[in-house]
Amino acid sequence: MRIINFILIALMGLSTVAHAQLDRSKRPEAGPAPEIQLGEAQSFTLDNGLKVFVIENDKLPRISFSLRLDVDPVLEGDKAGLSDMIGEMMTAGTTNRDKDTFNEEIDFMGARVSAGSTSMFASSLTRHRDKVLDLMTDALYNPLFPEEELDKLKTQAKSGLALATNDPSAISSMVSARLNFGDNHPYGEPETEETYDNITVDDVRAYHNTFFKPNVAYLAIVGDISFDDAKALVTKYFSAWERGDVPGKVYEVPQPPKENMVALVDKASANQSVLNLTYPVDMSLDNEDYLTTRVLNQILGSGGSSRLFMNLREDKGYTYGAYSRFGSDKLIASFSVGSSVGGHVTDSAIYEMLYELNKIVDEGVTEDELASAKANIGGSFARSLENPGTIANFAINTKRYGLNDDFYRTYLQRLNAITIEDVHAAAKKYIKPNNMHITVVGNASEIKEKLEAFGPVTMYSPMGDPVKTIEIEDADITPDIIIMKYLDAIGGIDLVQNVKNAEIEMSADIQGQTMNMKMIYDVENGGFVNEVSMMGNVMQRMVIYDGQGKVSSMGQVQELAEEDLKKGELDTYVFPELYYNKLGYTLTLDGIREVKGENAYKIVVSNEDGPVSSEYYSVETGLKVKSENPMAGDSFMSDYEEVSGVLFPMSMELNSPQIPFPLKSKVESIEFNKELPADTFE
Amino acid sequence: MKKIVFSMLLALMIANLSIGQTNIEFKEFTLDNGLNVILHQDNTTPIVTTVVLYHVGSKNENPERTGFAHFFEHLMFEGSENIPRGEYFNIIESEGGTLNAFTSQDITLYYEVMPSNKLELALYMESERMLHAKVDQVGVDTQRDVIKEEMKQVMDERPYGSWQRELPKRLFADLPYSWPVIGSAEHLDASTLEEFMMFYNTYYVPNNATLSIAGDIDYEETEALVRKYFSEIPMGKKEANRPEANYEPLNAEVRDTIYDNIQLPAIMQGYRIPPKVDEDMYALNLLSSYLLSGKSALMYKELVDKQQKAITTFAFPLDLENGGMFLMLAIANMGIDAGELDKAMDEVIDQVKTNGISDRDFEKLMNIKENETVNGLASVTGIAQRLAQYKVFYGDANYINKELERYRQVKPEDIKRVANKYLDNNNRVILTYLPQAN
Repeated sequence: MRIINFILIALMGLSTVAHAQLDRSKRPEAGPAPEIQLGEAQSFTLDNGLKVFVIENDKLPRISFSLRLDVDPVLEGDKAGLSDMIGEMMTAGTTNRDKDTFNEEIDFMGARVSAGSTSMFASSLTRHRDKVLDLMTDALYNPLFPEEELDKLKTQAKSGLALATNDPSAISSMVSARLNFGDNHPYGEPETEETYDNITVDDVRAYHNTFFKPNVAYLAIVGDISFDDAKALVTKYFSAWERGDVPGKVYEVPQPPKENMVALVDKASANQSVLNLTYPVDMSLDNEDYLTTRVLNQILGSGGSSRLFMNLREDKGYTYGAYSRFGSDKLIASFSVGSSVGGHVTDSAIYEMLYELNKIVDEGVTEDELASAKANIGGSFARSLENPGTIANFAINTKRYGLNDDFYRTYLQRLNAITIEDVHAAAKKYIKPNNMHITVVGNASEIKEKLEAFGPVTMYSPMGDPVKTIEIEDADITPDIIIMKYLDAIGGIDLVQNVKNAEIEMSADIQGQTMNMKMIYDVENGGFVNEVSMMGNVMQRMVIYDGQGKVSSMGQVQELAEEDLKKGELDTYVFPELYYNKLGYTLTLDGIREVKGENAYKIVVSNEDGPVSSEYYSVETGLKVKSENPMAGDSFMSDYEEVSGVLFPMSMELNSPQIPFPLKSKVESIEFNKELPADTFE
Repeated sequence: MKKIVFSMLLALMIANLSIGQTNIEFKEFTLDNGLNVILHQDNTTPIVTTVVLYHVGSKNENPERTGFAHFFEHLMFEGSENIPRGEYFNIIESEGGTLNAFTSQDITLYYEVMPSNKLELALYMESERMLHAKVDQVGVDTQRDVIKEEMKQVMDERPYGSWQRELPKRLFADLPYSWPVIGSAEHLDASTLEEFMMFYNTYYVPNNATLSIAGDIDYEETEALVRKYFSEIPMGKKEANRPEANYEPLNAEVRDTIYDNIQLPAIMQGYRIPPKVDEDMYALNLLSSYLLSGKSALMYKELVDKQQKAITTFAFPLDLENGGMFLMLAIANMGIDAGELDKAMDEVIDQVKTNGISDRDFEKLMNIKENETVNGLASVTGIAQRLAQYKVFYGDANYINKELERYRQVKPEDIKRVANKYLDNNNRVILTYLPQAN
């Protein structure tokens, strides 16, 4: 028998295609559908109101404890960002264990303990279950809330904000959230450096005391444990937790815009545009249209076979991916269509998105699409059951949303009963192609005009603040008049022209270290020095003299290219306003903008290659309040004081692309028309 | 001929079971066209994962045609003689399945997770694209555009994303790991349909593939189905480009500055490390956990928590077949100069090099590894992917049951030894990421 097999195999090896031909033109049929078994969560409630769900699963020797609070989101106002710090603060040491000990004990087991503003989580191998629960509840009951941890979190939050305002996708999310939900809603309120600074340890403590109560909490235990053991463990570790009154909150329901509104954030360096077409929508698990809208979204834009993906990626090649998202949330959700597309196809991509949205509203979906979507969602439901935690979530959701007890047990049945008419009706009810915020993060100069076809275009900052434009009231105003007003305001042109040279020393505080800057301007001889030092060491020195320029930094010297010299030319004058005409620059008035709460004329300064900077002069005082240029960033001037008869700003705040936070500097000394040593420009 | 017969004898062997609490049983056989097959039964949930691993990655590419392996990952979803263009996703998803793929320097891996009554469909779909994928000009042109957008999204527009190009270029100079997996747009533009077909016929063949199936299956039925769909696929005959594993230290530090579209400076350090199967890889893996697994890990604690010089740090050994890279990235906190951060990172590494690690820390690392191993077995997809990769990289699917044991053979002093041997200043590239002026 064996031998025969060998011969057969050898023959097959010689004649490679000696197999019976398989008919590959037909796809195989599915076997009988497997029965989907929904595991059962066992539950009990402690006297303090803590509701506990246990899912026994001994497949792997591990266990997890997940605690969830059912509380309304909090509007944090001038302390926005607080809730994001709660979790880290709670796990930064306890009255029994300092932070290092706490972390070391967790890591030693290879376990995990974490917390958020409405949750706690712990997991470990089964054999460490007592220890990990001890650590979790220690953090829950006895958090230390160290001040230095809060300071650290604030610094990190600021760095995170700096990173986010430079990341097109993060900008898109921030702007979308503010537009959808508004600044007076917990999902829309903006976080800023100021709101971070306002947060105190007392705020953290108050939050913890108010919201971490057993009577609003669910605990899910999943893994290698018996129900009885779980009960004993919970009784041991959670009985001491005291109940308390937790306040509820009600918020105004955010509404979609009356018409399509384009929100454009300029990111001049971007090659791609991040698109997000979005509006708020009332949808949660207990909504009768919940399942139908899952099907609708599946067909429209979820996954690699949806209409949006097939159109924008597979057919047009505009993007790596295009998706829609139909959120679901107890308070308020949003619907969105998003993609990162090549900058040059920004408008074409939006056009295709609108086309798909309108098409599904007008024509609904096909039977084939419906069948696919059902199979897809049903499959994903079945796959989710592989994770035993899913059953715990089901049990918690059923309670939290007040769902029918058989909500999940009948999930597939209800899914399969959905008709194309149902989906079409849901599309008409929920898809609003004419009531969206069309948010675009991209190169404004390339795309702004084209975007006007989709609705009124408003410019936003990366944080989601509208970039304000204000009507000019004075009809006769010209750039030259504004410049004259400025020169008058600081002391009059004669006095200003008398400044032949200037030496200015400034200092700035960076994280407890002092940075010093020294600028020397020699107007008569076209000389300029800029020296930056820290702790007495010169970090960088730039010298421009006689049409030549060089930068030395840490012992390395670099000659400035002619092009760079040209770009930086105006910065070498202490009062460049005197020289615009002489040097051949043209000035254009570009309306009024709000600069730190003050209205200011915006003047764009251009040379033959285009704009080089924008200067802002207060409408009221005539003083210069801001200067914007792509080389140096944005500088804000304030605290004007008189120096030899001329008003000069004593405070300067620089927001530069080179530094991740506003650099606030003060003038330490300033002197005009002094005798400059011969070696000043060496 | 003898070789073939010998491999036949090995076929149908059921792997020996070794002791251990989370032992993964499996069955293994090889088809006569060279396709390795591994099956693992777990009837807990009615789903099944099918993995096809092709032993081809960016290192097998012609240096003038980089990005081919990844390009194929896209092309393979375009369709086959019996699957209409663009329908691959749709067919799987509309039967309740999900699917994806990834490409690395060494392999390309595809997988489907299906309801268990639709395993046959997954096998049909995978066999279709192994037998006769449709590689045509329309597909090539579309995917070329898609990949260019992917390049921008993952490498150019993503902060620090350019490390994928900038670091290997300097660390591996003229070795095949020197280019990014996603490759070069110019190379893709210059490629012809014939070149793509040649690549397909060389690498997308059963004797260069491993099929692993895990989930709610019956061993016998599944084996019959595998034979039904895969036996008729002819063995590949083209000669593949297989660069040899050759670990050599870099021998001189390389430093460079990258000006990127970022706000915060960052330091990226990369060191050469030995091939994946090298004994020292176990200690190097533990070393990376020591530096950055959990809040008590040395580098996290020092740089992020104590000194607050970084807002975030990463360390991981990218272990590759022919010798990979140990990577460390730290993003500077506000107001921290890149040079200062670089120095602080070195001080952390020097601590390990000088002091080694304590017995308690070593025990901690073992506990962490045990957790990782257990968690890696939580899904049938994780198991199927591991079985296939272990078969290809270690020549033994049963490595899935031996991995933890291998880690237990490491001694505390090995951590210090490998830190000194591989995290050597002359064996590294340091990139300083600075914000670019507009």
